Amino acid sequence: MKHPLLPLSETMHYILLALKQPLHGYAIMQTVEQMSEGTVILAAGTLYGAIENLSKHGWIAPVPGETGRRKVYRITADGERVLAIERRRLAHLLALYETRD
Amino acid sequence: MKKRKWFINLLKEEKWLNDRLAEGYACRRVGSLGGYVFERSERPMVIRLDYQRQMSAEKYEEYKGTYADFGWTHLKGSRWGSVQYWQKPADGRDEIFSDAGSQVAFYQRLTHYALTTASLFFIYTFILFNGNIFAALFDIKASYLTEGLWEMEGAMFWRAFLFETPFAMLRFLPAWIFGLAIVMALYSYFQYVKRKKEYA
Repeated sequence: MKHPLLPLSETMHYILLALKQPLHGYAIMQTVEQMSEGTVILAAGTLYGAIENLSKHGWIAPVPGETGRRKVYRITADGERVLAIERRRLAHLLALYETRD
Repeated sequence: MKKRKWFINLLKEEKWLNDRLAEGYACRRVGSLGGYVFERSERPMVIRLDYQRQMSAEKYEEYKGTYADFGWTHLKGSRWGSVQYWQKPADGRDEIFSDAGSQVAFYQRLTHYALTTASLFFIYTFILFNGNIFAALFDIKASYLTEGLWEMEGAMFWRAFLFETPFAMLRFLPAWIFGLAIVMALYSYFQYVKRKKEYA
């Protein structure tokens, strides 16, 4: 059965990619803003919901040992697998762009 | 400035609050019984309302922490399934949702909220009126229990009527709130379906 979060939305995609390095919530927003060259600016509620959703599916997880006020997250092995699936899907689409031109 | 107003529709409440802020105010306090306190503000402010279902203390801290990092001040809300009031100075990044998915999820939560409210008042009304919801909704006279009240005349009637009105309100208001909550639930649900169609 198809996973409810697949294919990844732009928000989820950027967050998973950003979390290849450990980041807390606000830093995720800043990183995504940079990565997307200012086109994706996450709002607080959207970011909170996305973190909750991605954690629920085990694609990201809090980094143990971080004791600050803010939780620091990082992508998990499952999350990496999802990105690999998405990568193949997007590569296939891109290849079609080349051949159908 | 103090204002008293009562809302069932959270979207109308948000609109009303932002209309007050646009007049040059900031909200200082949101009371639990429809009381709002505003103060003059040099900076233009915005308010956004969110609804969250019951969550653990830890989750709630994370929720509030995330919003705080984005510059939002928490005006009111609890972790037991409640409306969350957020305010911040307007700076162009004034929304709490930035993509379609989270908008859709918000309307889904809103539908759940209205249904919960409706069920609560339904149960209350059902018990109070022995299951006769229609009497509760449309027959206000049924809420007055004083014997022979409607046969009384003149001052005697008005005294008895006014005396009982607060008690009668406790009986018929929940039924009306139930009705309004049903309308709100349907409205949120249609918004949910509409957004979902728009985006997906």
